[in-house]
Amino acid sequence: MAGTFSSFNTALSAIRYNNTVLQNASNNISNASTEGYVRRRVLGGEIGGPDQPAMYARYDGHGEGVRVTDVQRQVDALLDARLRREVSQQSYLDTQAAVLGRVETGIGEPGDNGVAAALAAFKKSWEDLANDPGVDAPRQQVLARASILADTLAAQSRNISGEEADQRVKTLGIVSEINIAARDLAELNEKIHVTELNGIDNNALRDTRDQLALRLSELTGGATTVRADGMFDVSVNGTSLVSGGQAGTFEVTAGINPDGTATGAPIAFGINDGTTTTAVPVAGLRGELGATHDMLATTLPGHRLALNALAADFASTINALHVGTATNDAYDRNGNPGGAFFSVVAGDEAATLQVLITDPDEIAASGIASVGGNLDGGNAHRIFDEAFGAASGEYQRMVNSFGTNVAAVERKAANQAAMTAQVSNSWEAQAGVNLDEETVTMVTAQRAFEAAGKLMTVLDSVLDTLINRTGVTR
Amino acid sequence: MSFRVTQRMMTADSLDALQRGLARSAKVQEQLSTGRILNRPSDNPTDATAAMRLRGAIADSEQFVRNAENGMGWLGQVDSTLQQMTNQTRKARELGLTGANDGAMGPAARDALAVEIEEIREGLIAAANSKYLDRPIFGGITAGDYAYNPDGSFAGVAGEVTRKVAPGVSVRVDTLGTEIFGSPGTTDNLFADLADLATNVRLGNSVAVRAGINALGARMEAITAGLSDVGSRMNRVESAHAAATAAAEELKTNVSTIENTDLAKAAVDLQLQEVAYQAALAATARVLQPSLLDFLR
Repeated sequence: MAGTFSSFNTALSAIRYNNTVLQNASNNISNASTEGYVRRRVLGGEIGGPDQPAMYARYDGHGEGVRVTDVQRQVDALLDARLRREVSQQSYLDTQAAVLGRVETGIGEPGDNGVAAALAAFKKSWEDLANDPGVDAPRQQVLARASILADTLAAQSRNISGEEADQRVKTLGIVSEINIAARDLAELNEKIHVTELNGIDNNALRDTRDQLALRLSELTGGATTVRADGMFDVSVNGTSLVSGGQAGTFEVTAGINPDGTATGAPIAFGINDGTTTTAVPVAGLRGELGATHDMLATTLPGHRLALNALAADFASTINALHVGTATNDAYDRNGNPGGAFFSVVAGDEAATLQVLITDPDEIAASGIASVGGNLDGGNAHRIFDEAFGAASGEYQRMVNSFGTNVAAVERKAANQAAMTAQVSNSWEAQAGVNLDEETVTMVTAQRAFEAAGKLMTVLDSVLDTLINRTGVTR
Repeated sequence: MSFRVTQRMMTADSLDALQRGLARSAKVQEQLSTGRILNRPSDNPTDATAAMRLRGAIADSEQFVRNAENGMGWLGQVDSTLQQMTNQTRKARELGLTGANDGAMGPAARDALAVEIEEIREGLIAAANSKYLDRPIFGGITAGDYAYNPDGSFAGVAGEVTRKVAPGVSVRVDTLGTEIFGSPGTTDNLFADLADLATNVRLGNSVAVRAGINALGARMEAITAGLSDVGSRMNRVESAHAAATAAAEELKTNVSTIENTDLAKAAVDLQLQEVAYQAALAATARVLQPSLLDFLR
């Protein structure tokens, strides 16, 4: 129905609409720097006549004003998924780079305090011994430098064990965080579903849910899919973790005791849905969990194995030269055949390398037998010549391959960072708040509000004319 | 639609850029303050391996220098002792000649000559027991204190004292007494010859004295031959010493080239990074300041 009174309503709808626009702008501005906040836009729609033409009743108006049709979150599901993928890869590489960097610092090469320097010093001590086999000092020096070498190797081995222990504890921490995030996400799925049905604004809940999904990707590399009813499903490496309102429990099923110690078995994960536990494949796991798993399963044990092999080879090489036998002329200061120099415990050689000789006189420097001993230095010369080449080479190869590994991971992490930043910028371009934009919206709404107010004044004066002045002559 | 730019994006981007600039500065700073460009294997794995190998080679070369110095001490001691023994032996031979030529000598004079020869013999035995760093230099690899007993028999243990002066190069730095003074027992050596000479001089047996003088001449030749052998070995050790010293210096230069910071370059780099960082700061300050609100009145 057209008419002056109806125009009041039209103006009122404009005031209401612009109020909402202003309110939304103020919310956008307030949250301009809130983590995970997605900007919203008020969609207006014209209130027009009936969309079905009636047979007898004719609509003779020309529009009834404006109404809020929707307050939209500016998101792009594809971009969200892309961001989650890049972030999971990023956290995988970053975590690896951090761990490798720490272990690398412990290696201390090239430098004066590493294993290479200890090997060189031990090697030199044999020549000093060959020069003066009859003096105590060089003999003591051989033993002291052997101990230093053993200590340096043990320190490296401890360094790796310490890092492994840290990573195991970290894995447990990650798992508990996964479970909290998964439970929260499932609850939010439910709440969003209910509020959606009730028609209540749930944009804030959606922001939180997106952030939880992102965090789960960061932790596990988990993939999120959106169901037809709007709920998020999260699966980790193919195994379902969150399904609608139901969250499974992520568990460490093997390899780590609840107190963070190792059980000795390979690490395995599973997701318990309340009745059964489904295994999560460990190959291809990404995110922080994937990185700690790969460190614990391959990288750190690999480094330790190389170190153990080095210690074992070195101990057996020295012993082969130092033990006096019918075919190996090695005699100590008193003329007795030399005994074993080093001992190791199989399986943990680097940490357990130990000098067996305690009496300096028992070092077999001589290569010539004689009753009561002599001052030959032949065997010391031989040890200097033959015992160290393989060990030094092996150690250099080990350090080289470790360094190459670290450099490669750091390079990958840097490349990925550029990639992630780009995707993250695209997301921000879509979802971020631009203050200039909001200011323009604000000013537009303000003007519209003023105009609607003015309209009411005009209508008021029109009515005043009609009611108070009609028929009045003066 | 053009790419939207938001304030948060700009803040994040400029913080990122500033972080990167600071990280680059920190890297150069590390290179300057540690004086090393190779601070961990991942800085350059190949160079790190090379540096480790060079460091090993430096340690070896330094040890070779030490060995050569020790060897030169031994050879020097052997050399000067043998020189001294040559002189003593020559003197004994001259005394023998005196005893042989003058048939008119009285028993007292001959006895005096014989005593002098015996003293020379004892002096030579003492010289043959010379020590270097508490080891008898003519005693081979003996753990004992003497190379020769007072009766002139050999008390050492046969064996070579060698010093390693280069990879795979060992030089013998001692001279075994039996190789130049004669048999190890109490006969057929320098000391036995001298004892015989003294006895024969005392007895006035001029034929035997002449034979003894000839024998001493042969011993002197053996000592001289030993001296020239020691001299040539000394030469080898000295040249090896020079080579090892030069190698150690050369290798140190190489390690320094690989490990150490080119200070001039790093200083210029640091300056560049500083300028870049300040420029980024200034740009950030300008970009983040304005807003539409400044222009709406």
